[in-house]
Amino acid sequence: MAERRDDAPDKAREEFFSEASELVDGFGRHLLALEESVESGHGPDPETLNDIFRGVHTLKGLSGLFGAATLSGLSHELENLLDDLRLGRIPLSTAVLDLLFDAVELYGRILSALKGEQAEPREEVLTLLASLAAVSNERSGNVAFIAEYELAPETLGVLTEYEEHRLRSNLQAGLALYRLKAKFPLATIDSALEELKLRVRPVGEIITYLPTGDGGDLDAIDLEILVASRSAAAELRQAVDSDAVLVEEVKKRDLSQARTPPAPRVSERTDDSAIDLPDGRETPSPPAADEDEPPHVSMHPAPQVHEAAVMPAAAAGRDISLRSVTQTVRVDIRKLDRLMNALGELSLVRGALLRYAEKLRSEPATRRLGMDLLGVHRAFERQLAQMQSGILEVRMVPLGQVFDKLARIVRQVSREQNKSVHFVVTGGETEIDKLIVEELSDPLLHMIRNAIDHGIEPIPERAAAGKPDTGTVALNAYQQGNHVVIEVEDDGRGIDPHAVLHKAVTMGLVSMEDAKSFSLEEAVSLVFMQGFSTRDTATAMSGRGIGMDIVKTRIAKLGGLVDIVSEVQIGTKITLTLPVTLAIVGVLTFVVEATVYCMPLSSMEEAVVFDAALVREVDGREVMTHRGVTLPVVRLARLFSEPPAPQRATKQFLIVARVGTRRLGMVVDRLIEQQDVVIKALGRTLGHVRGFAGATDLGDQRVALILDVPSLIEECLTAAEGRRANDASLAFRFGEGS
Amino acid sequence: MSALIHDGERSDHLVFALAGELYAVALESIHEIVKVGPITRVPRARADILGVMGVRGRLVTVLDLRRSIQVQDAPIDARSRVLLLQVDEEDVGFLVEEVREVERFTPSQIEPASVLGGIERPYLRGVARRGPEMLVLIDLLPILPGREGSALNVGGQGHSYPGGGAP
Amino acid sequence: MEDSASTRSFIRAILEGVPEGVLAGCTVQEATSGFDAMRLLPRGPYDLVLTDINMPDINGLEVIQFVRKSPHHKDTPLVIISTQTSERDIARALALGATAYLRKPFVPEELVATLERVLVPKGGAAPHG
Repeated sequence: MAERRDDAPDKAREEFFSEASELVDGFGRHLLALEESVESGHGPDPETLNDIFRGVHTLKGLSGLFGAATLSGLSHELENLLDDLRLGRIPLSTAVLDLLFDAVELYGRILSALKGEQAEPREEVLTLLASLAAVSNERSGNVAFIAEYELAPETLGVLTEYEEHRLRSNLQAGLALYRLKAKFPLATIDSALEELKLRVRPVGEIITYLPTGDGGDLDAIDLEILVASRSAAAELRQAVDSDAVLVEEVKKRDLSQARTPPAPRVSERTDDSAIDLPDGRETPSPPAADEDEPPHVSMHPAPQVHEAAVMPAAAAGRDISLRSVTQTVRVDIRKLDRLMNALGELSLVRGALLRYAEKLRSEPATRRLGMDLLGVHRAFERQLAQMQSGILEVRMVPLGQVFDKLARIVRQVSREQNKSVHFVVTGGETEIDKLIVEELSDPLLHMIRNAIDHGIEPIPERAAAGKPDTGTVALNAYQQGNHVVIEVEDDGRGIDPHAVLHKAVTMGLVSMEDAKSFSLEEAVSLVFMQGFSTRDTATAMSGRGIGMDIVKTRIAKLGGLVDIVSEVQIGTKITLTLPVTLAIVGVLTFVVEATVYCMPLSSMEEAVVFDAALVREVDGREVMTHRGVTLPVVRLARLFSEPPAPQRATKQFLIVARVGTRRLGMVVDRLIEQQDVVIKALGRTLGHVRGFAGATDLGDQRVALILDVPSLIEECLTAAEGRRANDASLAFRFGEGS
Repeated sequence: MSALIHDGERSDHLVFALAGELYAVALESIHEIVKVGPITRVPRARADILGVMGVRGRLVTVLDLRRSIQVQDAPIDARSRVLLLQVDEEDVGFLVEEVREVERFTPSQIEPASVLGGIERPYLRGVARRGPEMLVLIDLLPILPGREGSALNVGGQGHSYPGGGAP
Repeated sequence: MEDSASTRSFIRAILEGVPEGVLAGCTVQEATSGFDAMRLLPRGPYDLVLTDINMPDINGLEVIQFVRKSPHHKDTPLVIISTQTSERDIARALALGATAYLRKPFVPEELVATLERVLVPKGGAAPHG
């Protein structure tokens, strides 16, 4: 039998990674909320703390199952600390908060180490473990009494330690304790309880749910719900607003009768003592349990807030998190790609249907039939469009997923740099293709680091410039037509175009000659050039071997653009413009000699009739003046060594492509039409070919290549001469076959 | 493709013709055999890559096996077929002149490739004799760009041919 | 019952893969929460109940109590799986009538061994027997 752990089925392993990452992301998000609640002077929010505890608890369980020892060990220690925190044994200090943030960081790195993406951060884990242990030792005791309340041992006996703690703290804080009793039909208990929670929530904290009855009723269940509240019974009843729910106060025992021995305290988590439960003590006062004699476990019943995980103050917000538990499905994106493929097939069917319909309609004898068929075709087309947008919708995820992680980075980097940074995020709800989101986190991370590292000045420098001590880094996202725009803006020192130019010339990236022709804006854009770095020594932060050129390349790969605007002393703003989805692109189809190609509409400005007479040659490159600006021109037939078509086109067209601020005119032979196509990636076998972003089926069984405009522009414009020579020799080598 | 083709030591091969010679590849490495559809040329691709072709909604990169292993050129005709392989989730096709049959070889029929003499080629697996005929056993994976070093069989259940890889 | 989907599917994979012994050919039914379990439990005979302690809404201890009160399941072996650091909670679970416990992390062999042990009590401890 028994598979070993590492034989865990791939599917389970995949699920493990996806669940673990979700947990870690949630951890980070909750920490930020926790920090906020602490900073605002409210003290740690118990529900958030408990959410974190539960997350780490689950993570520990998972990592154990999957043989991830480091993850499991870290989680174990962390769980202890969080347990102490939520049970109030130790206070939540800034130092502790820092440790928790460190833990989130490490979790991320351990997970990616498990996937084999990087080495395990062994040292850091050990350091963190030591710090965690040190904190745990500081824990202080917290003792209280619950036994004075008229709670049946049967009730007390099933409270977890945490629930006991919540009950105790609420009672200590002077809240009243209520017992709600109701019968719920099992079929609808989830929704009925949710509703009840939402109602109770504003006036009290639910400690636990206790099923009563003997389970003999197959259709319904009696529940006792313990609620701690500041409100009077009448108010609670009003909040509950249901005759079916009985609300009664749990009173303190009449001490004069003093039959209850003082609550035997379960000693604090000593290791062995737990088993020797105070044995069945006579406790006649409360309506004691009946025959089945529940163990009278000792008593500090603890309240619990397990369901806290499902209900914070903002009822609506909680509602969402509840839904994410019960109503979402995780889907492998490849499955969606398969659906998308099937959809592509259906479009082909639709095309055929249309052709037949048109044919029938054109014959007088079958005209009627043709008309009917056209009607069917239209209905089919409508449904197809709906399905397509449905599938696309499924691929969409909110950018907030990445933004949350960035907030942690800002916090960390600004601390390390001793800078004060206010991070403002808007538009986290903007949705974008899942694949794009995944590719975005590195570039965004780098941009944010840059903003803090190079942008935001140290406090003295800011003071001298008359700026507030705290710098601002803003991350804004919004949708603009078929694009999502993401801006990273800082109010730091800005980029000096003259310094950039000087540097570029010194590094030999730009000739003195060219330098003179640059506008100030163009000069700033030089930071995107390969090998460019504004500081002589890379700092530990942003200088990790990648620069803005990588950001640009990555974004371009996603079919996006990067623009930069900066003003000295005012700040810098970098704007990413990305397609909403990768799967479907709007293209213009055109012909070069006899071959059809597609140009993504997102990268093109316009298409006009080409006037060869306007072309002149500069430095061996063809350029023309177009709308008053010099436009480099490339003849695609030549670039692609296209075999000549049997019939020469009499007139040619110029498609003006644009990526960021750079333009390129491409000469083609004929324009066909604009259409939406499903883009398919070229395989690894074609990995050596540059200039194409993918291919698509145009519906006539023919596959057409889609131009990769950023890479073509790069190729034709950047360091034109040397680059071109290189490519030529590269192509030549491949051309020989290996 | 279905069912396991291993039968003790014997293994099924697909025999096809190329420039008048007979070749064979492990049948299990072939996902499907399809007719040649319109192929779109990919500019600047390696010379043996004919281009891309759509096969029921999937995009297949098609190589001309004749060019890949440098035997003489021949036109595509009605007998031409594309052998489809799935490699790392990528669909790759190899154009061959004509698919003949499936043949089962026993180890004793297979001789090391060195009997062919000439330069060592990573894709050569051995030679099988069938009566007077001689079939060249090849492995398609090492032919793909970026995978030249790989000597694995597609699909991973590597067959080893006795003496096949030995010098 | 167990509120983490991947833990559930992992456990299912282990149990359904057991080739021999009492567990061979067993049917695994998953419950995602205490309420879910309460819906399922009264409906059929089960040979064994496996539950986590730390779950939202109804906790594992409450589930144990419920199970023990049900006429069908007074004697059904009940195993807790938990990472619960609190020894006290495990102690309570046992006191409430859990048959055995298993701490995460565990290897598949441990799970199988524990379950086989409680399913065939050979003079071993079987509380509420």
